[in-house]
Amino acid sequence: MQHIELMAPAGNFESLQAALDNGANSVYFGVEQLNMRARATVNFTIDDLPEIARRCEAKNVRTYLTLNTIIYDHDLSIVKTLIKQAKATKITAVIAMDQAVIAMARELDMEVHISTQVNVTNIETVKFYALFADTMVLSRELSLRQVKKITDAIEKEQIKGPNGNLVEIEIFGHGALCMAVSGKCYMSLHAYNSSANRGACKQNCRKKYTVVDQETGFEMELDNEYIMSPKDLCTIDFLDEIVDAGIKVLKIEGRGRAPEYVAKVIKCYRDAIDSVADGTYDKAKVITWMQELEKVYNRGFWSGYYLGQKLGEWSNGSGSHATQKKVYIGKGTHFYPKSQIGEFKIEAFDVAVGDTILITGPTTGAQEMEVEEFMVNDIKSDKATKGDTLTIPLKFRVRPSDKLYKIVENKVEA
Amino acid sequence: MVIITLQRNKCIGCNYCVEMAPQQFQMSKKDGKTVLLHGQDKKGFFTLKSNDYAILEPCENAAKACPVNIISVKNN
Ligand code: SF4
Repeated sequence: MQHIELMAPAGNFESLQAALDNGANSVYFGVEQLNMRARATVNFTIDDLPEIARRCEAKNVRTYLTLNTIIYDHDLSIVKTLIKQAKATKITAVIAMDQAVIAMARELDMEVHISTQVNVTNIETVKFYALFADTMVLSRELSLRQVKKITDAIEKEQIKGPNGNLVEIEIFGHGALCMAVSGKCYMSLHAYNSSANRGACKQNCRKKYTVVDQETGFEMELDNEYIMSPKDLCTIDFLDEIVDAGIKVLKIEGRGRAPEYVAKVIKCYRDAIDSVADGTYDKAKVITWMQELEKVYNRGFWSGYYLGQKLGEWSNGSGSHATQKKVYIGKGTHFYPKSQIGEFKIEAFDVAVGDTILITGPTTGAQEMEVEEFMVNDIKSDKATKGDTLTIPLKFRVRPSDKLYKIVENKVEA
Repeated sequence: MVIITLQRNKCIGCNYCVEMAPQQFQMSKKDGKTVLLHGQDKKGFFTLKSNDYAILEPCENAAKACPVNIISVKNN
């Protein structure tokens, strides 16, 4: 069976590295203001493009630049600059919504992917965009049966993109779902003057709400106050059906998420995709993956609309249901390459042998492991506290930009 | 004196400030971010000091509308 492409989110270099280390086939990222995560405090800049391209090319990973916000007149020249720079640095493709971006990219002979915001839901639309684009995300409102009809038709009618190959279909595999029609929403704009369609979503659908009768002041009792907050999409338990639907790319959400989220989710889906391909995909594996996925950020899982269930699986909390969380312990101070030992300064809490630790950094990505042994202030020990210097044998280099965390259980709010 | 500052590098180019205070803000066609007219640049923070109190209200509205809170308006 054919391998599908696993596409990872990268909001910064930590996540990018985590995606590369855990088996992503492609990454998507935004730069500057014209992407759907423009509000994020850390965002790549145009000057980071060569480094992103360099790191990904070395691992044969495809790179996609998101340029999928609404575009105003004053944005047109920066769009052109970004596409030109992407082309010059050999970024694989741009993910676009606006016709101006699509046209400019084609003019500059840049590969175009059609983003969710376009809402492709039928074969005629696929044909239309095939004039410009090689890959298209389908709308999240489609069931797998409908997806399969589209992929079959592409094959049968030989619908090809500008690169001469059959158009590839991409769908979302895991992560947050929007309340509104795939990625288009005015809620933030109405409530906070903050346009989601410019990448400034304030996530007000993720809050508690009450329903009040204006005449009597009577408050309606709601089973769940989070009436507009859907659970997160998770497809790992029917990934075989997803592959059967003939899609080529599985996209993971989460450009605002921490690097360990990217590491964990990509690792699970990598494993799952490989298992489907080599025929070892089974229930037991699904259970283990689910347990792993629950450890990192999630609002509870459901299967979206792919299996045709009715919509309306609401989250029952504002935040994450992750079963684990990280606490900051200290920072990297030195690495002894000969003996392969990393040195850390403990700045908060303590850490003991047997604990699971996480080390994150722009080049390190997100490395998680159980500590088997360490030295504290040069003496073999099994517990280290604030102020101590900790040395641990490691298989990778530690850098001063690296942070050390401990993974602890997270009490999930009911 | 009215003092307006803009932390320009964080601008997402949404155009709201221009709608609120077109006399003070203008979108740059070059990089798609807003420009604080007559502002002085100091390491990416643009500042405008003015004795024209007529700009106060529009600029306060712009500050309120800005989704990334990078406009500040002081009156002293
Ligand atoms: S309102 Fe804020 S983000 Fe929007 S253009 Fe003006 S300064 Fe930039």
